[in-house]
Amino acid sequence: MAIHKIILASFQICLLIQFSHGATKERLFSDLEKGALDVTAKPSRQGVLDAGIDKLSITWKLSSTAKTQASFKTIKVKLCYAPVSQVDRPWRKTENELFKDKTCPHKIITKAYNKSSQSFKYTLERDIPTGTYFVRAYAVDAKDHEVAYGQSTKEAKTTNLFSVQAISGRHKSLDIASICFSVFAVLALLVFFVNEKRKAKIEQSK
Amino acid sequence: MASNEEGSIGTSLHGVTAKEQVFSFSADASSQIVPSDDPTAKFALPVDSEHRAKVFNPLSFAKPHMRAFHLGWVSFFTCFISTFAAAPLVPIIRDNLDLTKTDIGNAGVASVSGAIFSRLAMGAVCDLLGARYGTAFSLMLTAPMVFTMSFVTGPVGYLAVRFMIGFCLATFVSCQYWTSVMFNGKIIGLVNGCAGGWGDMGGGVTQLLMPMVFHVIKLAGATPFMAWRIAFFVPGFLQVVMGILVLTFGQDLPDGNLSTLQKSGQVSKDKFSKVFWFAVKNYRTWILFVLYGFSMGIELTINNVISGYFFDRFNLKLQTAGIVASSFGMANFFARPFGGYASDVAARLFGMRGRLWILWIFQTVGALFCIWLGRANSLPIAILAMILFSIGTQAACGALFGVAPFVSRRSLGLISGLTGAGGNFGSGLTQLLFFSSSRFSTAEGLSLMGAMAVLCTLPVAFIHFPQWGSMFLRPSRDGERSKEEYYYSSEWTEDEKQQGLHEGSIKFAENSRSERSRKVALADFPTPESGTLTNV
Repeated sequence: MAIHKIILASFQICLLIQFSHGATKERLFSDLEKGALDVTAKPSRQGVLDAGIDKLSITWKLSSTAKTQASFKTIKVKLCYAPVSQVDRPWRKTENELFKDKTCPHKIITKAYNKSSQSFKYTLERDIPTGTYFVRAYAVDAKDHEVAYGQSTKEAKTTNLFSVQAISGRHKSLDIASICFSVFAVLALLVFFVNEKRKAKIEQSK
Repeated sequence: MASNEEGSIGTSLHGVTAKEQVFSFSADASSQIVPSDDPTAKFALPVDSEHRAKVFNPLSFAKPHMRAFHLGWVSFFTCFISTFAAAPLVPIIRDNLDLTKTDIGNAGVASVSGAIFSRLAMGAVCDLLGARYGTAFSLMLTAPMVFTMSFVTGPVGYLAVRFMIGFCLATFVSCQYWTSVMFNGKIIGLVNGCAGGWGDMGGGVTQLLMPMVFHVIKLAGATPFMAWRIAFFVPGFLQVVMGILVLTFGQDLPDGNLSTLQKSGQVSKDKFSKVFWFAVKNYRTWILFVLYGFSMGIELTINNVISGYFFDRFNLKLQTAGIVASSFGMANFFARPFGGYASDVAARLFGMRGRLWILWIFQTVGALFCIWLGRANSLPIAILAMILFSIGTQAACGALFGVAPFVSRRSLGLISGLTGAGGNFGSGLTQLLFFSSSRFSTAEGLSLMGAMAVLCTLPVAFIHFPQWGSMFLRPSRDGERSKEEYYYSSEWTEDEKQQGLHEGSIKFAENSRSERSRKVALADFPTPESGTLTNV
């Protein structure tokens, strides 16, 4: 009976928590002002960039067509996945609800809003995965809500993309340690086995 | 009361119970029991005539019995940690190796598929080399696979390594074998239930352990893509340590190690082909295969997908997702033994019918909560659903091994091996169907898997024993077929019966009268109450 009461109580608490959370999450990407910022991202060299080594030159400024700039407080610049890197990877999915959207998980820089042109030289972090990317800058208001955005590619996200090759994460010392431990494991087993067989033979011959 | 004495079989919470040798190759207990000069005085625990412990004291490490128990379940636990070590780190690994959902799903299937074969082979290994080497082989030969994770650079390598690590789940069989030779039949149910449940907990602990190890390594300065590789050294190292401990401190049998003991007595090993045939011919084996596939099977699947699910769906941090996910596997500590215990209680009251109903109830309730888990949109509800789901499913695992020992006496070991393999098969199947493509979101996959489990639990209604009935049907009215002896001796040919090879089965049949419902047992046979059980 005590178990029943505990389960019922926790169920009710869970419901309460669920309902209290429900109201605030409806901000949508489609409500943001498109193209409020002109963003460019120039890779430091041609071809596939190497994470941890190559850089991006990112610039952003207020677009001439912007309307909502009065509420801009900070600019958050992020590295975003192009559609080709989202295929069969639901953890990178583009969703309309902002809190669910996983298109731009990698933060580049956050700077206070300034209507003149801003720039930043970004070195690709070593935890950036292999993929195809573009850059997006969100304009955020005083309540930390996104208001507008601009990105380095067109709306279809098919132009002006750049590719990144991740670090492998391997290291020679790891490889060596791994081989040593493996050999030790197999050898230890063999040694025990042979030893015992030998002891058994000696016992039997006695 | 009769059921206390006969509880030797009735208390089959789990695993390959039977008082005698449990493996497919030997039907005669005396083949591996050696008369030693010293009486039982040298053992720390009270023992029976075969020197198997009659008492289970989990707080003791006395040799050889309790030591074997602890070495066995911790080895099994370590192997669970290794097999599912990748799962909580998938959010990092998928970025490092550029994996797609299909790649991750396929690797998950691979991680449980290897054990289908290795579990079947382990029975033979234990028979030939003893449980100690069975366990040690499993640990030491798969440890290099765990270390090989540091070399992996893409989806193919990832899948291959996970497949090879998965072979070590065969320690389930060696662990159960080891406890079965060390512990008396009356308590073997509880012992095996604890060993199995506590070993399965490894699947939960790994969800906690790996993110924590990963975090510490990152703090020490490594990049994420290197830190997860270093983290894999922990389960690998644990395996090596356990392997050495097992070889140094373990003992195959109560009286010593297999190779140094002189074997005397009759060595009447059964023929594998016969044992195999009777296991395969019995339709109940296959129903259990399917049932375990949807209790243990979905448990193994959840071990692979649940951490990533909480990470992605509810935006938790890696360690937090791990903590939440680990509570699924940790419930095994009490849920599985509880399932076996409930099965035993049901048997005392309602006989085999009670066991079958308990099995159906636990497994269906667990599956229904799995459906709810997939549909839960908020974190607290999801956690609640997951916990209830875990209790139901794991209790069903324990309850299933309350039924399995009665399906056959001759092929007991092989049936347990096949059932165990069914668990892995079910896991591979559900991962392949629901979690390996982008057709379903993980949430949808969970609900569909629960629905499939509800459907695939229905076949338990078809398990019918002529002597005890089934969920809905009464036992056979026929005078001959309603006897337990008829059922168990039908596994032997006339020739074999002439040679008296079926004596063990007859003894087993007598003891299994406990599976009649209480009123039937009390009504017709006065003899069980007078405790005519010999050689328990």
